[in-house]
Formats: sequence, C-alpha cells, structure tokens
Amino acid sequence: MSSLRTTSTFKLGMWLLLAPLCLWLVLLIILPHLELLVFSFTDPEKDSFTFGFYQEFFLEPLYWRTFVRTAVMSIMATILTLLIAFPVAFYIAKMLKGRSKGIVFAMCLIPFWVSELVRTFGWMILLRESGVISNFLQWSGLSDGPVELLYTDATIMLGLVYTSMLFMVVPLVSTLDSLDDSYIEAGYDLGGTNWNVLREIVIPHAVPGIVSGCIIVFMLSLGNYLTPVLLGGKDSLWFTEQIYTQFITRFNWEQGSAFGLLLLLLSSLIVWAGLKISGQSFAKTMG
Amino acid sequence: MSKETTIDLACENICKHFSDFTAVDNISFTIPKGSFFSILGPSGCGKTTLLRMLAGFEQPSSGDLLIKQQSMLDVPPNKRPVNMVFQHLALFPTMNIEENIGYGLRRQSVPKSEIAERVAAVLERVGLAGSGKKRVEQLSGGQRQRIALARCLVLNPTLLLLDEPLGALDLKLREQMKIELKLLQKEFGTTFVYITHDQSEALVMSDQIAVMNKGKFEQVGTPHQLYYQPETAFVAGFVGDSNRWQGTVESIASSTVLVNTNDGLSFKAKVMGDKAISAGNSVEIFVRPEAINVSRTVPSEETDNQLVCQVETILFDGAKSQIIAVEKESGGKITVTLPQTSDFANLQNYDTIYLNWSAEQTLCFLDNAESNGGV
Amino acid sequence: MIPSIKQSSRFNAIYQSYLIAFFIFLAAPLIVVAVFSFNDSLFPSFPWQGFTTDWFFSSEGNKIGIFFDSDLLNSIWLSIGIALVTTLLAITVACTNAFLFERFDFPGKSFLYMLMLLPLVIPGVLLGVSILVFSSEIANYLEDYWFIDLEFLRPGLTLVVIGQFAFITTICTLIISARLKKFDRSLEEAALNLGASPLMAVFTVTMPFLKPAIIGAAIVSFLMSFENFNTTFMLVGSDAPLTVAMFERLREGSTPVLNAISLLLMLGSGVLAIINMTMQKKSA
Repeated sequence: MSSLRTTSTFKLGMWLLLAPLCLWLVLLIILPHLELLVFSFTDPEKDSFTFGFYQEFFLEPLYWRTFVRTAVMSIMATILTLLIAFPVAFYIAKMLKGRSKGIVFAMCLIPFWVSELVRTFGWMILLRESGVISNFLQWSGLSDGPVELLYTDATIMLGLVYTSMLFMVVPLVSTLDSLDDSYIEAGYDLGGTNWNVLREIVIPHAVPGIVSGCIIVFMLSLGNYLTPVLLGGKDSLWFTEQIYTQFITRFNWEQGSAFGLLLLLLSSLIVWAGLKISGQSFAKTMG
Repeated sequence: MSKETTIDLACENICKHFSDFTAVDNISFTIPKGSFFSILGPSGCGKTTLLRMLAGFEQPSSGDLLIKQQSMLDVPPNKRPVNMVFQHLALFPTMNIEENIGYGLRRQSVPKSEIAERVAAVLERVGLAGSGKKRVEQLSGGQRQRIALARCLVLNPTLLLLDEPLGALDLKLREQMKIELKLLQKEFGTTFVYITHDQSEALVMSDQIAVMNKGKFEQVGTPHQLYYQPETAFVAGFVGDSNRWQGTVESIASSTVLVNTNDGLSFKAKVMGDKAISAGNSVEIFVRPEAINVSRTVPSEETDNQLVCQVETILFDGAKSQIIAVEKESGGKITVTLPQTSDFANLQNYDTIYLNWSAEQTLCFLDNAESNGGV
Repeated sequence: MIPSIKQSSRFNAIYQSYLIAFFIFLAAPLIVVAVFSFNDSLFPSFPWQGFTTDWFFSSEGNKIGIFFDSDLLNSIWLSIGIALVTTLLAITVACTNAFLFERFDFPGKSFLYMLMLLPLVIPGVLLGVSILVFSSEIANYLEDYWFIDLEFLRPGLTLVVIGQFAFITTICTLIISARLKKFDRSLEEAALNLGASPLMAVFTVTMPFLKPAIIGAAIVSFLMSFENFNTTFMLVGSDAPLTVAMFERLREGSTPVLNAISLLLMLGSGVLAIINMTMQKKSA
C-alpha cells in the first residue's frame, strides 16, 4: 500500500481514523470508569481518600449476600442455558440441511429481535396468579385455586435462561457447523457410541463456541435488570438493582460506584477464569 | 467350501434410490480375502454411495450385504468389522496422534497398557515410530495418510474402505503414496476396497477393479483385462487414453468389421462387447496411441490399418510425449505416442509420418446411444 | 446423531419432542402477548372477554387504544429519533474503526482492539451509571468554575444517545469489519490502476461492497437502540423513551394497550429481522 500512496498521506489517514476510535473509547468508556473508581474511594464530605464504601459492602450482609446470590444464579443460568441449547444447536447444525436448516435457525433467532421487555411481559402474563398457566391448572383440575408462579427464584432463572438463549444457540450452531460430518462418522466407524462420540469428538470441537456462548450469557445475566425486577418482584435481590437504588433512589453515588466496580471486577474475574480454563483468547472469543 | 470362506465381502443385488434418482442400481460382486479391490468411476457414478453403504452410513434400498457370510444390514456402523479412511482423513484435530490411533481400541475397552503397545507397534509398521505425541497439524500430508491408515489397521478390520484418500495430495506425493499404499496392503494382508476417479491409482494398486458408471458396474476385472479387453465403450474410453471415432459398419467378416468413420477414414476393427453388430450399425472405435506404429518412411509390410499423416503438433512430455497428426485427405486427427528413437529426434511440424496398426488393436463397440435406446 | 447414523426410533422421537417443546418455550410468551392484545378486558389476563381491536383503535372511554394514547405515541417517536441518531453516529464511527483495524498496522493495535471489545462485557447498567457520573462531574465543574450550564450533560436524551452509542458502536464495528475482511484488495488496486485516487477507490469500489454489512449493522443498531433498557434507564431525564415508559406502566399494572404496542413492536422487529437475514444471505 505504501508503495501506492505517499507515506505522509497514509499516516494522516491513519490518524484521522484513529481519532474517532480514541475519542469514543477514552471519553465514553475509560474516563467514565476511572471516574467511578475515583468516586468509590472518595469521602464526599471531607473530599479525602476512604475505603468506607467497600467496607460498607462487606459489613452489610444484604449487600454481599445479594452480590453472591447474583453471581451464583448467573452461573446456574449459564449452565442451564448451555444444557438446553446444546441439543437444539446440534440438531440445527448437524441434522438439518439446506432450506429447513435456515428456517429452523431463523425460528430460533426471530424471538430475540423482539424487545426483552415484551418477552418478559409475555412471561408475566403466562405465570401470574391470574395468568394463563394458573388458569390452565385450575381448568384441568391439577390445582384448586389460583397459583402464583411469579416472584420466585425459579421464575428469575426461567427468565434469564429464556432471555439469553439466542446468545448460546448462535455460537454453538456456528462451531458445530464447522465440524465436518466425516469426523462424527469416523468416530462411529472406529466403534464409538453416541455418548463417547459426543464426549470425545463433538464437545472438544465445540469448546470455542461453548466458551463464547457461556461468557456472553453469564455477562448478560449478571448485568440483567429487567428480568429479575419484573419476574422476581420486590425480593428479587439482584445486584444491578442495588446499583440502581444507590444511584437513582438514594443518590449515594459513591456507594453505587463501589458496587458497580465490584460487579465489573467479578465479571472480569469469571470471564478471565473461563478463558484460562478453556485456553481461549478474549479477542478470538468475542470477535 | 474352502473357496467360500475366503470371500470377505459379498454384495447381492444392492440398490440405493434417492428421492429423484438411483445412485446404485442392482450391483452384485464378491471380494476375496486379502485383495485390493478398486471401484473406479467418474464423479457422480454412485461409488461413494456404495462405499458408504459398506461402512453403514447409508442403508441400501434393497439387496443384501454380507461380510464373512454375515448380513450387515442391521448392524450399525460402530459394530461393523469395517473401517474407513475418509476422503479428507478425518483425523480428530482435538487429539494427538496416539489418541487418534487409540480411539477405536478405547472403544473396545482394551486395557491401557495394551493400547499403548499396539499403537506403538502400528506406528512402527507404518514407519512413523515415535510420533505418537505429535499433533495432527504437525504432520505432512503423506504422514497423515499413514496415520489415518494406522488408525484403522490397528483394529484389524475385515475390510478397509478408502474414499479417494489421495485426492488432496499433490502429484509427486500421490505417485509415492500409491506405491506405499500397495505395499502396506500387502504387508498387513487386509482386504482393501478403494474408490477413486483416477484410473492410474486404480491400475497401479489394484488386484481387481470394478469400473462403475451411472450406478452400475460396467466391468470387473484385473487392471490388465480392463486395459486390453474392455467390454464396453465406456470402459475403453475411461481407462487409459484412446483415439476415438464414431462411424458406421460397412461390412463384417467373422470378428473383424470394416468401419467408415464420420470424418472419412476407414478402419478394420475387432468387435468387442456382447452385442451383435451388423452392417449399417453406428459404432464407436478406439485405438490406443501407443498401439500405433510410427515410421518416417513407407513401411514395407502391409497391415490392417494404415494412414499417411502430417505432424500438426508435438506435445513434449518426456517419455509420455505425443504427436497430434492430421490425415492428409480427410483432415481427421489422430494422437500417437512419440517413439523415443533417434529417428524421431528431429521430427518437425508438417513432416510426413506413416502410421499402421492391426485390427486386433482397434476395438469396435456398438454405439452407446443405440444400445441405450434398445433398453 | 447425524442423518447418516441411524438411531432407534425411540431416540428420534424423544429428540424431536424435545425440539418441539423448545420451540413452544420460545414462542409461548410472544404468542400470549399477541393474543391478549385482542382481549376485551381491562387486564391482559383471563378470563377471555371476547375479541376486540379497541386496544389499537379506541379513542375514548376507559379503553384508550395505542393509536390514541398520546403518551405512548410520543415515547415511540422519541425512541425512533434516538435510534436514528444513535445509528447514524455508530455506523460512522464503526466504518472508520473497521478501516483502521483492517488496513493499518500501528503499535498498540491489538490492545486498542481489546479495548474496542470491552463494551460488550460491561453490564449495560454500569455503562449507564459511569457515563452519568462522568458527565455530571464535567457539568458540575463547568457550572462551579466557569458558570456555564450545559444542559445536555444532565440526564436526558443526549446522554441516552451517548450511552447507547458507547456499546452499539462495538457491535457495528464487528459486523462491518467482518465484511471488510472478505474484500479482495486487488479490486481497489485495479481502481487505482485505472486512475482513481485512493479516496475515490474506497468510495467507488470498497463502500459499495460494504453496503450490505452497513445496512445490516444499521438495522441491528436501530433495533438495539430502540429496545435498549438497561443503559437508557440510567440516563433518562423527564422524557421517557418507549421501553422506559412501558416499564413504568408494567410496574403499575397495565391494560392490554401494552399488549397492543408489544404486538406492533414484534411485527416491526420481525420485519426488520427478516429483511436483515435475507440480505445477509444474498451477500454471503
């Protein structure tokens, strides 16, 4: 390229392209998060350094319990989503061919183009006391009175799994698609059964897809706000809700910043651990 | 009785229909133990479908498939005494060489120490001792071939199926692997079923070749038989190079016919195939370039077929060099092998050459279109 | 497991029932939302009171249809406006990013690429609050020391656009880069060879090649912005875009007018989804 263009205009072009990228990253991503960091260590009254807001987090059981609960439930939701999505992704990638494959895959994707709010609303109509499932149970005689299915941990889990499904199915389908049928056939040809072909050939091949699916689903669950609040009700105890409360309701920005950074730390740690265990790189997994 | 026990594979009236076409059309054959059997045909002739039925990845629409007198129809692929070398080898990229070769043994719950021994032994036999810990991508194309073979042979299969495994290699390596495959087959004594569209691969390696076209076997025979006594026009055209003319039968004398070709030449030819030929039939005739004698002077002896031609082009390819020559009166073209004698060292375009060959080497078949029309 | 390996019919039956159950699970919430938008009742739940289109078209009484609910209509227009501006900004920066990462080598490139991906893993709520905190700090500083009051740095529509832009740009960059990677550089060289200036070569040869990806990215960006809640919720001022307005109503307990608007949203995003998918297929 440099043989075709003079070096100086080439350099100029690079700087011109570099400028918007840097403005975006510095002004909207890096500085705001540094600001959070500064906030979380600043005592607003004395304008001095303090550990107080982190101390508060560890001393108040409600805070750290919510934190742990959010992490554990997010991990569970991730595992559950993987288990549910894998057979579906396998079917789409390996059992279907041509047109029917495209249609079934699109059927998987289209629900997720609809707003999360609408999907959650749908679950509320299904699950609430006066909802569809409760009515069905009474009508079929399986239950004597209205059943409230909302506002439990299981409901939150259901909502999280539902909402993240796409982000698991898509990476799984694309890695499984890249597994040539002949590998599976070779596995059987050499005497393998369903189970060990799955375990020794299919799953090892699908690791990159599994890892990127899990990371995205985990991040989405951890950072979710709508689903726990709407499906879990008042007792949902989700950590993002705590952050919102500190910032918007209590106007305690310092405490909120500390919470936010703790959440970021947790998610980075788990993503890092996930990548380390599976030997994948961040750029490859995300890109 | 003793002859029956040496048959490893028998196919009886195997058919495979897909929704819109018939891939394999009523094929029967047997393969004796320890032989190298090739199925040779152009792409789309159904050879891959046939092979996949042997492996168990396709179910025949009708007919039976016996390995050592046992029907395989209800035996799933992972229970058949058959292993396959896939077209692109399908070496598991997530496993190292040792794990790849040991995969089948692990499925049979062979003890770990024995697996290690057998893997090491087979690696040594294919000449790759000590590379067990390597990853698949560290090996060259030829080495991967041998690993794919070893992965199957370590299981002592009754039948080893090979699905054009040399197709992906470059020419030099392919030539080398042909010889190597043949030697390995001899050494292990396993029955090989090899499919290919490359006639040279089939001719060099096989004990028996089946030439397949449009779902049927055209001819089954030794390489020698296929080359010198093709039974159909398709085999004559597909196996080896030939000069090929369309023509009409002028007259018949016992097994020799006189044929006028469409471009105005006239040849004496030998009738091949099992269909009766009479005067006026349209036929195809085949003459191999190396069967034609070339001289620069008028030959003294009279032969069945003679032509006086002018050299149009010389295609130089070392020992395989050819001359494309034009018959002066009709303008018909003919390809002949360039003799490697000093006489021809200074052969030039437009030189006159004299060609002659016998009726024995001019094979005449009833025209395909006509014989098909009768069916 | 794959078609060439025959499985027992029981295995196939179980596998297929599982898939059917999965698709019912996927479709159920959307179907009930759609169905109850036609229920002639004040609540989106049983009992079924009969079919009505009041929740779309009624203009009076206790049932105000979506086409006459001025609050919701306003919030829709607001959301569309936000989505358009965000998309325009995100696509522009995404294009420059794509060219930068695909065409140039410079020290720290891979580090910058990692930073570029970061917004994908920052929870939306956090992205919202960090921008809120940062912009408020700047606003406070300007007001205290320079006596300038910059309204757009306070919670409101500008901040919403900025917040959404911050993460949507990453997604657009990935989509456009993926297509630019497939571009055959020799086409550009051919244009140069035929007398185009480098910039002209890019605009006449490369950009048309990128068009499907740019349109695809724009559709994705529009929908992500339109449907975003987490980041938006942290940055809104007094004007509520659609998702925030719907959220407030959902918490209060809603009438089926929410079902009606949801149905319209589904239709809208469904159409955009199908346009996008068919276009990707064509350009693939």
